[in-house]
Amino acid sequence: MEIIQIVGLGFIVTLLILIIRSQRPEIAVQISITLATVIFLLVLAKIEVVLNLFRDLADKASVSQMYLNTILKIIGIAYITEFGAQVCRDAGEGAIAGKIEFAGKVLVMVLAVPIIALVLETIVRLIP
Amino acid sequence: MNLDLLFKIAGVGILISVFHTALKQAGKEDMAHLCTLAGFTIVLFWVVQLLGQLFTTVQSVFKLY
Repeated sequence: MEIIQIVGLGFIVTLLILIIRSQRPEIAVQISITLATVIFLLVLAKIEVVLNLFRDLADKASVSQMYLNTILKIIGIAYITEFGAQVCRDAGEGAIAGKIEFAGKVLVMVLAVPIIALVLETIVRLIP
Repeated sequence: MNLDLLFKIAGVGILISVFHTALKQAGKEDMAHLCTLAGFTIVLFWVVQLLGQLFTTVQSVFKLY
């Protein structure tokens, strides 16, 4: 029952942050970054199992690894972008969070370019 | 699990606020600010190491090279 551990940890850290924020807001931000990192590291080991299953399935269905890798890269970029933006927004810097999200969107679009090109090529081939 | 890091950071935060108040009461404003800066730097060191670990793990799981 890891979820109970994680929820309990969240409550305790929330209380600690409430105590510390009135005195030292910068340390409170760092505690929340640490909690986010710890929870994600806990969950990541489990995500890896699921991703390996997906890779096996893609191999069996003879789907090219390129597509799956692109999707995984996009998910990774989306997660890291969200993480950074949330930390900045928690610290009250909405403008910087917006810039981080913008950069993430641009990078995801760049990764999706080969697939879009492939789709367009297929459509052009289908049109006589 | 590096849960002890969380409690270490919270402890440093509380300790810094106590030191800051004590030094301020003693009339040493500049020392109080230096103390705050030192604590912040120590905590930042830990947090940056943990963030580096997170980013390398995300890169290896999602194959972001």
